[in-house]
Amino acid sequence: MAKAVNTKKITHAVVRMYCMGTGDCFIIKFFAGKKECFKMMIDCGVWSGKKEHLTTYIEDLKSYVDNSIDLLVVTHEHADHVSVFETCQELFTKNFKVKQTWMGWSEDDRLSKIKKWKTEHGEKKKALAMAAERLEKTVNEEEEKGVTKPGLNNKQIMGARKHFSLSLKSFSDLHVQGVAGNYKGALEGMRIVKKEIAKDKIEYLYPGNIIEDLPGLEGVKFYVLGPPEKWGEVEEEGGGEGESYTHNKELKGGDAFAAAILSDSAGTDTESILPFEEFYETKISSAIDLYKEEENAWRNIDNEWLFSAGSLALRINSLTNNLSLALAIEFEDSKRVMLFPGDAEYGSWCSWHKINWEGTATVEDGKHFTQDLLRRTVFYKVAHHMSHNGTAKRLGLNMMENKDLAAMATLDYGVIAPGWDSTMPNREMLSELLRKTKGKVMIMNDNDLFFDFHGQEPLPAKIEEARKKMSTKEMAAFNKAYNRAPGNLYVEYTVKA
Amino acid sequence: MSIPNKIPPFRRLRGYAFDPSLSLRGDTAFINNIVYNVPWESNLKPGPIGEYVEIIDFDPTTGRHYVPLNLNDVNLLAQDGLEPSESNPQFHQQMTYAVVMTTISNFETALGRKVLWAPRRLEDRGKYADYVPRLRIYPHALREANAYYSPQKKGLLFGYFEARPANSTLHMPNSFVFTCLSHDIIAHEVTHAILDGLHPSYSEASNADVLAFHEAFADIVALFQHFTFPEVLKHQIAKTRGDLGAQNLLGELAQEFGSAIGGYGSLRDAIGKIDPVTKQWKATEPSGEEYGNIMEPHQRGSILVSAVFEAFITIYKNRIKDLLRMATGGTGVLPQGELHPDLVNRLSTEAAKAAKHVLNMCIRALDYCPPVDITFGDYLRAIITADSALMKNDVRDYRLAFIDAFRRRGIYPQGLKTFSVESLALNHHTPLSPDTSKLMEILADFLKEYRNNIMYESDRQKIYEESKKYITGRKDENIQGLHERINIKFEDNKEFQQLTGLVFNSNWEELGIRTSAKTYKDGAIGPSFQIQNLRVVSRVGPDGNLVNQIVFSLVQRSAVEMENGAFKRHFDPAGTEELKSSQFFLFGGCTMVFDLDTMALKHIVSKPLLDTAKLKKGMPPEIDKDRIERQYRYQQEEGVMHLSEHSLYFGSGLQNKMNEPFSFLHH
Repeated sequence: MAKAVNTKKITHAVVRMYCMGTGDCFIIKFFAGKKECFKMMIDCGVWSGKKEHLTTYIEDLKSYVDNSIDLLVVTHEHADHVSVFETCQELFTKNFKVKQTWMGWSEDDRLSKIKKWKTEHGEKKKALAMAAERLEKTVNEEEEKGVTKPGLNNKQIMGARKHFSLSLKSFSDLHVQGVAGNYKGALEGMRIVKKEIAKDKIEYLYPGNIIEDLPGLEGVKFYVLGPPEKWGEVEEEGGGEGESYTHNKELKGGDAFAAAILSDSAGTDTESILPFEEFYETKISSAIDLYKEEENAWRNIDNEWLFSAGSLALRINSLTNNLSLALAIEFEDSKRVMLFPGDAEYGSWCSWHKINWEGTATVEDGKHFTQDLLRRTVFYKVAHHMSHNGTAKRLGLNMMENKDLAAMATLDYGVIAPGWDSTMPNREMLSELLRKTKGKVMIMNDNDLFFDFHGQEPLPAKIEEARKKMSTKEMAAFNKAYNRAPGNLYVEYTVKA
Repeated sequence: MSIPNKIPPFRRLRGYAFDPSLSLRGDTAFINNIVYNVPWESNLKPGPIGEYVEIIDFDPTTGRHYVPLNLNDVNLLAQDGLEPSESNPQFHQQMTYAVVMTTISNFETALGRKVLWAPRRLEDRGKYADYVPRLRIYPHALREANAYYSPQKKGLLFGYFEARPANSTLHMPNSFVFTCLSHDIIAHEVTHAILDGLHPSYSEASNADVLAFHEAFADIVALFQHFTFPEVLKHQIAKTRGDLGAQNLLGELAQEFGSAIGGYGSLRDAIGKIDPVTKQWKATEPSGEEYGNIMEPHQRGSILVSAVFEAFITIYKNRIKDLLRMATGGTGVLPQGELHPDLVNRLSTEAAKAAKHVLNMCIRALDYCPPVDITFGDYLRAIITADSALMKNDVRDYRLAFIDAFRRRGIYPQGLKTFSVESLALNHHTPLSPDTSKLMEILADFLKEYRNNIMYESDRQKIYEESKKYITGRKDENIQGLHERINIKFEDNKEFQQLTGLVFNSNWEELGIRTSAKTYKDGAIGPSFQIQNLRVVSRVGPDGNLVNQIVFSLVQRSAVEMENGAFKRHFDPAGTEELKSSQFFLFGGCTMVFDLDTMALKHIVSKPLLDTAKLKKGMPPEIDKDRIERQYRYQQEEGVMHLSEHSLYFGSGLQNKMNEPFSFLHH
């Protein structure tokens, strides 16, 4: 030990993605040479899965980290990021130590501003859950009664309605604790993390925060990118042409809808939601008689309005995604960066470029520091399971220029919410990612995934093809860094510091 | 002798020319409150429920029914209906009724016949369909910023929502905005319904233009109806000093809706928009590449809207050239200050005329469109054909104005050797063989009988039933229907298959065509096909030219299965419960126009199922692979790329347009 080499300085990190199904669960181990210095965990959720099945993964995870985590990061409150804390609760609350927990500032329930907003937002989530439940019931009744019969194509019409209802249900499950007749509130997984794992000792982070010198993590800095601090940015889900990967309409309104659903279910305070004075109402009229005619029942609209819940669901979904805690992890010496954006959507990506970074050196060519972070990124956890607006285009992927860039995506068609397979993966984004990484794209499970739209080109073959662009040296390095465990338990990738 | 019964021609009803927001602006309030002249309905019941529509004001979101409006109430008759008011649901009923009836009446004037709603198609193919006398209208059906026509329910559903204004001076934040109070939204939605009655297959998104066409056409009708309000027109002419190409209310759509949700997108951008740098309104200058590049249905639709609007501006400018010369002593430069009221009047007359002509051209063109798979190019051809039939001499260069405006946006019809008025009109088809000519003549003769039977019929249900009788036949009256005649007379007639591009041979099942549920004389069977929209086109042109035609469309579909993006085989649609994702229907169809003066087939426009090039060379009939692959590619790839997030998550793909296609489209 005569040489002046700093043996504590981090030399590499191993990113491990557990393959439980569409959803995030990462362990990142930081090493100084062979010495394990720091263990970090990001999220633990999956779209759906039984306890017995998930236990295998969590037990492996626990033995891998020796029942102890230095830093737990929970990005946002979506089932596919926190559900397993609930499903395998006792595995996390017993014989498992978490030394430190980080969340985005918007999770800090102690602040009255957040409390107020959470109540309002909670009401909307509740409305979504109730609408989903009502629609499911309605559609089932409709099918039983055969309301679309004897019209042409009535089976397809019913099928389309059921599909809608299922998709809505999946959005509801993503946000709201199992309803079954009564709304229970926020996700249980989140509560367990806060109360039983972190025991309310949580550090809430703001964009612009820079964290360094964590014990054991010499030479590593954390930059907090999101969640944005302005509501306008939180609410922006798509940036339009050139910004995100497909054109999206703005989704606004929906407050009136939520109010009606809630009051309808509570049976009280209907007054405030009424658009007109009471004296315009009637219970007897020729129009009512016409509406009630049995042979014209196929034209009735009692339940059509419930389909408006689709817009509400998308709005709540984007908003929650944008509240993701987004982190850039930098190795100080090499300036290489690992990017973990949670499920941040366009609004969040956009806000990163407005952060007033304090205490960072000026970027040589005068570019914003966030852009600098992006172009130094060598590892990217693809946001929102490769959906179209999970990755910003101009302000995101276009700026990731590093030749070592590799990406990991938590997408698995075997376990996925209905309706998601139509948006994930986004082909344009995926092909750009394949080009930039030369095929260093690691997907949780690429079985049943196709690059094209008619199941011709299996994705694994496309990835293989992209990997041919790597030089022999790059290929050897990649093969060394990349490891898929038997039985697809997890995927690992080693990032050099 | 009894005193002659004087039924009033119109019912006068007050309403907004645009929407409530303009009544709050000092400069527009006085032109926004107008009186609609709605055709008088003698038998109008509270609702209002009349011959064409039934307005049922039930709000399912609150479970409330509102008192239906009785427009025959003496107090209302005496003061042109209720006073415009956002807080009175009965006025909402009145506004909806007034705009819907105005739109219907514009269509009937242009088409020269009654508007019929799309019938309710039944699963039982033998029964086929039920007649739908009235469109259902629900003014308060949804709680969201949306309104749509439901082809399933034959109804219009209007929503209301809480305003989240970009500009809170026009909207009280959190106040309600009602889509059923917007002239543009009502006109737009009812046009969807009318178009569905004329061309039921246009909700099948078989190429990028079809849904865009539905949207654009609905916008065009809403837009040009603005020009039928004289007070508004005069005011805007005075304000823009005669330059209707500049920003004005007439060229904008759905203002309140737009400002309340922060932009209704294409509706406002079609013609021009505010330049983000200069903050000045600028007309949109076409680049010539729009048609090739823009695929999202609304934006694509706005290409068509802007083309038609530009054609209108050109026509209007031509019409007022002489007036401007006179008013300016030949300089063409108007003096500073306000225009002389006489000049404003004259300019308004010309603008109103030009707008009416353009609207009529756009509506009449529908009779000459293919029944399926329409493209903007097809529509241009239909406009030119319809106009050429009526106006032999295009003295004011209307057709050129249209062609030029379309050309400037890169819209060219397919398969044309040259691009001119002559080649665009659908006049040319190769002369028929004597045998086929004879058959056509027999058909024309039969159609003439139909025309004579229906010419003076004004009861819409009778028109529907009479048309149905002539299509399907009636044994008791010894009428052999059109359906049977075509199937039997043209069986294995190569020329007819070549013309229509449809399958009329004996091996239809091999080509994926279902066997018709009908059995003909002596138990004969044949390939399934639909006859849509049998109609009499009887019009008098401005120069006294008479158009005396019968038009109908044939539609047929072939069941195809794909493999690796290429055609694999046909399957039997009758034995298939649910389609696999590799299976779909290719629609083909043609519109046939018979001239009753010459008793011959005058025009035919076809979207062939059959590969007509191969057929022409004498090869055995097969389905056009190129069209199969094009439609498949569109529905599986290109179209999907431009679906909204809402459609991606909640829709069932472009092939399953079953659950409220127009609701999805508006998201």
